[in-house]
Amino acid sequence: MASCHDVHEDAAVYHKTNKILLMGNPNVGKSVFFSQLTGLQVMSSNYAGTTVTYTEGTMELGGRRYTLIDVPGTYSLDAVSEAEAVAVRFMESSPLAVVCVLDSTNLERNIKLGLELQRFNVPIIYALNLVDVAQRHGVQIDAVQLAQELGAPVVPTVAVKGEGFDRLRQELEKVVSQPGFKPNFPAQIGDQWQLAKQIAARVRNSVSGELSFFDRLGSAVLQPWPGIPIALAVTLASLGVIVQGGKTLEGILLILVENALVPFFATLFSSFIPEGVLLNVLIGEYGIFVISFEWIVALILPYVFMFYVVFSFLEDSGFLPRLSVLFDGIMRKLGVQGGSVITIMMGYGCAVPAIIGSRTATTRKERLIISTVVCFGVPCISQTGALISLFASFSPILLVLMLLLSLVVMAAVALILSRLLKGDVDPMVIEIPNLLMPNGKAYLKKLMLRMRNFALDAEGPMLIAIVIAAVVKETGLLNFVAGYLEPLVSSWLGLPREAVMALILGVVRREMAVAPLLAIEGLTALQAFVGGTVAFLYLPCLSVFGILAKEFNAKVAVAIGLSTAVSAFIVAGVINQVAQLVM
Amino acid sequence: MAGRRMRHRHRNRHSQKLGGNSCCLYYAQDGRQYVVASAPEVGILKSLGIVENAVIQKKLTYRMGGPVLLKVDSSEIAIGKDFAEKIEVRG
Repeated sequence: MASCHDVHEDAAVYHKTNKILLMGNPNVGKSVFFSQLTGLQVMSSNYAGTTVTYTEGTMELGGRRYTLIDVPGTYSLDAVSEAEAVAVRFMESSPLAVVCVLDSTNLERNIKLGLELQRFNVPIIYALNLVDVAQRHGVQIDAVQLAQELGAPVVPTVAVKGEGFDRLRQELEKVVSQPGFKPNFPAQIGDQWQLAKQIAARVRNSVSGELSFFDRLGSAVLQPWPGIPIALAVTLASLGVIVQGGKTLEGILLILVENALVPFFATLFSSFIPEGVLLNVLIGEYGIFVISFEWIVALILPYVFMFYVVFSFLEDSGFLPRLSVLFDGIMRKLGVQGGSVITIMMGYGCAVPAIIGSRTATTRKERLIISTVVCFGVPCISQTGALISLFASFSPILLVLMLLLSLVVMAAVALILSRLLKGDVDPMVIEIPNLLMPNGKAYLKKLMLRMRNFALDAEGPMLIAIVIAAVVKETGLLNFVAGYLEPLVSSWLGLPREAVMALILGVVRREMAVAPLLAIEGLTALQAFVGGTVAFLYLPCLSVFGILAKEFNAKVAVAIGLSTAVSAFIVAGVINQVAQLVM
Repeated sequence: MAGRRMRHRHRNRHSQKLGGNSCCLYYAQDGRQYVVASAPEVGILKSLGIVENAVIQKKLTYRMGGPVLLKVDSSEIAIGKDFAEKIEVRG
C-alpha cells in the first residue's frame, strides 16, 4: 500500500552525495531487501506497482551512514513509463553504488536489466535472490561464473529468510569505502536480450529439485479448475477470519470500554464539572469520551486490524495477481481489466490507498473507472465493521443482500462509465510472481505501518465527527435539522428521526453514517437495511474527497460526491418503497 | 463495445489472411511452443520479452474472454485477450 504520507517526490534526493540505489525488476523482493538493509519501516509487496514512488532510508556500513533508495521496480531503462523515467533519473544522479536484485527464477530478463544498468558506469553489486525457489524448480545458478560474465560481484541471497546479507554488506562496503572507484564491466556486443539469454544459459545448471507445497499451489491456483474454487474458498475464508476475528476482538474491547474506560472518564469529569451541556458533551449518551471509545476502539479498530492482517498476508504471498488472471475475463466484460481486482480489494480496506494504487492503471479512463467503482460500490473496512454490527441483531441474510447490492453497484458503475468516458482501457499484462510464505519481519512491519497510517489518517476526521455528533445531539441542534430533513428521512426512507445524525456525520467518515443507527432502539430489519444502504452508497469520507481532488481534480471529486449522495437516496428509497408495497 | 468487437473481427480476418503457418496467439493451440512473428509496439510487452522472434510457450487460454497464460523464458505471464489477438505467432 502506498500510504498518503510518502507520496511526494523531493528533488533534493537526487543531489545527495551518499546515495546507494536498490534496483531491479518488479516482484524480485526488493522491498524485503530494503527493510533488511535499513531496518526502517517500509512496505513490501509481491505485486507490480506498490513501489511506484521511491522509498528512502538510512543504512550503516563500516560506521558510516548512507542513504539507501528503493527505486521503483522496472523491467528496462527505456524510460517508456513513469517508473522507468524515475529509475533513469536516479542512475544519472551519481550514486555511490547500485545493489541490483536479480530473480533467480527469471534469470534472462533480470540479467538484461542488470546489463542495461552498466551503461551508467556506476559500481554494481548483484544480489542473486530467490535461489531457494529456483533450486526447488530444478535450477541452480553458478554465482561465481555469473560474476565473471557480469564483471561485478554476485551474492546469492534468500531475502525472506535474511540469508546472504552479511556478504552483501561486505561487498558494498568494499566499493563505497574507495572514493572514485570505477567499475570494470566487460564490453557488450550485440543485442542485450540475446546477450542476457546467452549468459543465463551459461550459468544455469539443472539439478533435481522438489517443488514445495506453495510452488504446487501457485500453479494450481492459475488453472480455472481448481483455481476458481480455491480463489473463492480463500476469499470466503478471509472474510470469515476478518468477521470472526473482528467480532471476538470487538467483544473483548467492548467489555474493556464499558466497564473500565467509560466509567473512569465519567467519574473523572463529573467530579469537577457541574451537570449541564458541557458534561453531556463530554460523557453524555453521545459524549465525546463515550462514543470515541465505543465506536473507534471497540467497533472500528478490530475490523481494520483484522482486514490488514489478512490482506497484507495475501498481498505478500503472491496470491492477488493470480486472482487478477482468473477474473480478467469478467473484468474485461465490465470494461476494465483483471489487474484492477487488486486495487478494488484494497478499497475494501480503505478507499484512499486504493485510489493512490490505481496509479498502476495505464490509462486515465481506467483510473477514473476504478476510483469511481471504489467510491460507489466498495464499503471500506471501517464501514463494513459498523454494518456487521448493525445487521448482527437481525439476520446474516442482510449482510449477504448488502454484498450482492455492492456487486451489482460495482458492475453497473463500471459498465456505465466504460461506455460514457472517452479513451481506452489497455488489456491486462501481468507477470505472475512465485507463491511464497511471506517474510515474518517484513509482514509485521507492513502491518504496523498500516495500522499507524490508519490511526494518523482516520483519527482526525473521526474525532471531528465525534465532536460534531456530541455537540449536535447534546445542544438540541439535531432536532432542529431533523425537522427540515423529515420528509426525506421519514416519508421516503422510512427511517426514524434520529437517523438524521447518520446523514450529518456520514459526510465526515463512512462508518459514521452507520454508527448512529446502532444507537437507535427498536429499529426494524427493513429500516436497518435501508439505513445501511444509504450509508453504503452515501458520500465517500472527507479523506477520499481530498485524495480525489489531488489525484484527479476538484470537478471529479464533486461529481463523485454528488452522484453517490443522489444515488444513495434514490436506491435506498426505492428499496424502502418497494418493500413497503410487498410487505 | 460494438465498435470494439468489429475491430477484433477485422483483425482476426487479417490474421487469417497472413496464412501460411502464422496465426494469432489467442487462437493458437494450448500447450505448445511458438515463435513470435509480430507483436504490438507496447512498452510492457517488450520489457517482458514478447518481441519478434522470441520463443514462447502457450500454456492456457482462459475461457469467456479471459487472458492467455504464457511461459516466456522462465517467467509466467498472463496477457489479456485484446493484446493476445494482436500477437502473431509461428508454430
